[in-house]
Amino acid sequence: MKNTPMEKYTAGFGLSLVVTSLLNVVILIIKEKNDSVMSAMKAALGHHWTTHGAIVIIVFLLLGFIFSGMKIETKLDSGKMLKYIIWAVIISCVIISGFFLPNLKFAGVMKY
Amino acid sequence: MLVQGVMMSHVALGVLGIMFAVALFVDVLNVNEGNIERIKKLSLAVAVLIVLAYVIGGYWYVVYYGHDRDIIKAGQWPWAHNFFMEVKEHIFFAMLLLSIYLPIAVYGNVPLTEKPKRSLVLGVSALIVLFGFLMEGAGGIISKGVTMGLMGR
Repeated sequence: MKNTPMEKYTAGFGLSLVVTSLLNVVILIIKEKNDSVMSAMKAALGHHWTTHGAIVIIVFLLLGFIFSGMKIETKLDSGKMLKYIIWAVIISCVIISGFFLPNLKFAGVMKY
Repeated sequence: MLVQGVMMSHVALGVLGIMFAVALFVDVLNVNEGNIERIKKLSLAVAVLIVLAYVIGGYWYVVYYGHDRDIIKAGQWPWAHNFFMEVKEHIFFAMLLLSIYLPIAVYGNVPLTEKPKRSLVLGVSALIVLFGFLMEGAGGIISKGVTMGLMGR
């Protein structure tokens, strides 16, 4: 694909999407492996998942506006951005699924 | 009844979001001056529908799901929660971010005449559809996990 300049918010929020998708995985692993983090997240907004979601959305919006002001649209193009987004969501999807995969160990003996 | 209504609206909003993303994908493949406004409206609709599905589904998950989770974990398909719900509730955030990003990508790239810009919007909407199917499938397995739990009692 030929290199075409991006609009600043498309570039800024696109990069934020990449970073935040990966951050989502980091938060998941830390809270699942660390009881004190899990307890703190439960205490913060009443449920760890609510706190997790709030962090992800706030970081996405904050980074989006920060990156949009950093003129990154001059360094990126739409083709690269799409590749980064696809890889970020695939990597996060694979790590999340892999993290919980041991929980499927009894699925082979399911009865119906 | 309220609980069922909340759950059904979560599912319905998610399905509508997927359908609108498919419509947007097809419209972008056939982009012209006549459908640009519809593409913009569809991108906003996808974002609003998926955010609403998140808020309503999140409310149901936090307030009501604990009872269902206990039934699933005590039943024959405990992995319906231990794997599928755990994966669903965390991968959903990627779909949520993609949906919020979609209108930003559309409004920043109109009139979508250049192929790389069109590809970005097509790629994001395709990911939303794929993740949407993943969410719907996982949701079906989780609800079946409740049925299996109740059947075993």
